[in-house]
Amino acid sequence: MAELDSLFSPTRVALIGAAASEEKLGGIVLKNLLGLKGEVYPVNPNYAELMGRTAYRSIGDLPCPVDLSIIMRPAAEVPGILHQHAGKVRFALIVSAGFAEVGAWELQEEIKHIGREAGIRLIGPNCLGVYNPRHGLDTMFLPHALLKKPGKGNVAIVSQSGALVVCLLEAVRQANMGVSKVINYGNAVDLDAADVYEYLAEDRETRVVISYLESVGNGRRFIEAARNLDNTKPLLVLKAGKGAGGQKAACSHTGRLAGSYEVFRSILRQFRIQEAIDYESLLDGAKALSLQRPASGKRVCVITNGGGSGVLAADECGRAGLELPPLPEAVVERLIVSFPSFYAIANPIDLTGQVRAEDYRVALDAVREAYDGFIVIALTAVSGVTLAVAEMVHDFSMATGKPVVAHVAQGGISRKLARLMEKGKIPVYPSPERAVRALAMLLHGRGDETR
Amino acid sequence: MTTGDRIDEFLRARSDRDPFREHEVKELLRGLGLSVPKGMFISRGTKILSVAGLSFPLVAKVVSSRIASKSDIGGVRLGIGNGDELQKAVSELSRMEHAEGVLVEEMARPGFEVIVGGIVDNSFGPIVMFGPGGLFVELFRDVSFALAPVDRQQAIWLMKETKGEKILKGFRGQPPLDVCALTHVIVMVSEVIASGQFRTIDLNPVILYPSGTLVLDAKMSRI
Repeated sequence: MAELDSLFSPTRVALIGAAASEEKLGGIVLKNLLGLKGEVYPVNPNYAELMGRTAYRSIGDLPCPVDLSIIMRPAAEVPGILHQHAGKVRFALIVSAGFAEVGAWELQEEIKHIGREAGIRLIGPNCLGVYNPRHGLDTMFLPHALLKKPGKGNVAIVSQSGALVVCLLEAVRQANMGVSKVINYGNAVDLDAADVYEYLAEDRETRVVISYLESVGNGRRFIEAARNLDNTKPLLVLKAGKGAGGQKAACSHTGRLAGSYEVFRSILRQFRIQEAIDYESLLDGAKALSLQRPASGKRVCVITNGGGSGVLAADECGRAGLELPPLPEAVVERLIVSFPSFYAIANPIDLTGQVRAEDYRVALDAVREAYDGFIVIALTAVSGVTLAVAEMVHDFSMATGKPVVAHVAQGGISRKLARLMEKGKIPVYPSPERAVRALAMLLHGRGDETR
Repeated sequence: MTTGDRIDEFLRARSDRDPFREHEVKELLRGLGLSVPKGMFISRGTKILSVAGLSFPLVAKVVSSRIASKSDIGGVRLGIGNGDELQKAVSELSRMEHAEGVLVEEMARPGFEVIVGGIVDNSFGPIVMFGPGGLFVELFRDVSFALAPVDRQQAIWLMKETKGEKILKGFRGQPPLDVCALTHVIVMVSEVIASGQFRTIDLNPVILYPSGTLVLDAKMSRI
């Protein structure tokens, strides 16, 4: 059993600082924990019972050792509480704030030391902790009424920031995705991104990992874990703190140029780990990689029913490092026979406003062998675009196994069409450029030497 | 001798100095197979008797482990054409504050300038850096980094990561530059910084020719 199983799928959980009502954070977490597939032990010396569970005076009074203890007490109390954990707890998740992030480095060092001595792995401090919908585990002090979390899925979220994990949870749900494992590890006094990457590399429920980082403690260890993970499944990294310019080594030119972000970005590229340039592309990439398998190559064909949208897609292909080779002669000949003379038989293929749904199938069939990836653009404000297009694109994707993404423009049946496509595992985006960038992430240069 | 041996020997001979003086760093680089201009170091207070073996025009630079930027304080004299000019430059430079002596070198032919450097990053440890051309680097921050040490293949990758790399291949009718020699410079700098003995190394500029490279200025500081 992997070490972090007890963190992500604990059978026994203690909550230090459990409260009676959801007016307090300790009550929100207790309520959220009641869904756990396992035992929950609230700890609060002022109660005999909390939300229907027997409450305990201290961690020492529990009837048995626990896998995970969640600590929600003021920072100053945490060292004392941790001391009592020795021999009784495998993972201690410190939600409490008031450590290094406010300058209390000594206090943070103290808990690190206690954790090491007692052989307890620490998560946090200053974090929201973990969410695993398959196991009913939710340590985050966010009331369900205010944040509907996504359900079971194959996207893992690893975030240093609590704020970002909250935004990502909401956005992932709205994009019709589900999650496998979610963690916000805050100040990373012990457990950090590298530990989680190692675990997720082996996690069968995870297909793609998206990760928000501000800093990495041991950069070399981080890179090694990230490489190992990326060898088994796609990892998308969003690094914040881009503005931090060169600082150290004032007399060194290299030192002045080596901003932490520049160095980080270069090293990600050195080891071929994909970087999401911003929050939007992190999510767009997650959607694509959660629905489809990455593939190699960079030859792309765009099929559109609107010229302008096709041109925007083509422009973005250039920026994203993708190529739009012209249609092979044989394909042109075939399409000239099938299509009216006013369709543009080139790349992009423009089926125009007079498109018939069936034309998408004809076009896709004609180009399937000649390209590595496909962008289908459907402007739904014309009568020819029907829900049948979703099935055609789905069938094409299943038959070829090649990456296909779609841009469905606002209007008419767009919401229905988008939902139907995503059910059929075709990621849909609200702009041509975003569709192209998502395709670029699916085709992330496996086979491209410049990657 | 391996790179490590040469570095150890270099450090043994200079146990008390940081940052190192330019001609010392260049000596180490020469030992590592890098080309540096032909030159001689004249200690403060000594008279130049001859510049035998050096051909005019020459360059004279003040040498001091306490001066960060020689050109900012007028510590570099270019295009010295004869013995009289040289005497004058050397005596002026050696009177500058903190001067330990003067380095006299043959003036380099013009070429394309690049920077190759190394630092120890707080998070990633030893890092090697490449940047094409002073202007590209200063204005556009067109630089790339990699975990050090790098092999020849990774050194080539490091160059390709920059926009200015196009110039190395011969831009607009210019002849292609000696990328192979530059590769060696990058590999060596990466090995020097990865030795764990130095905090920074800066070769700036390195001049690139269609055949060969020349390290014009070099700085290095102890860990």
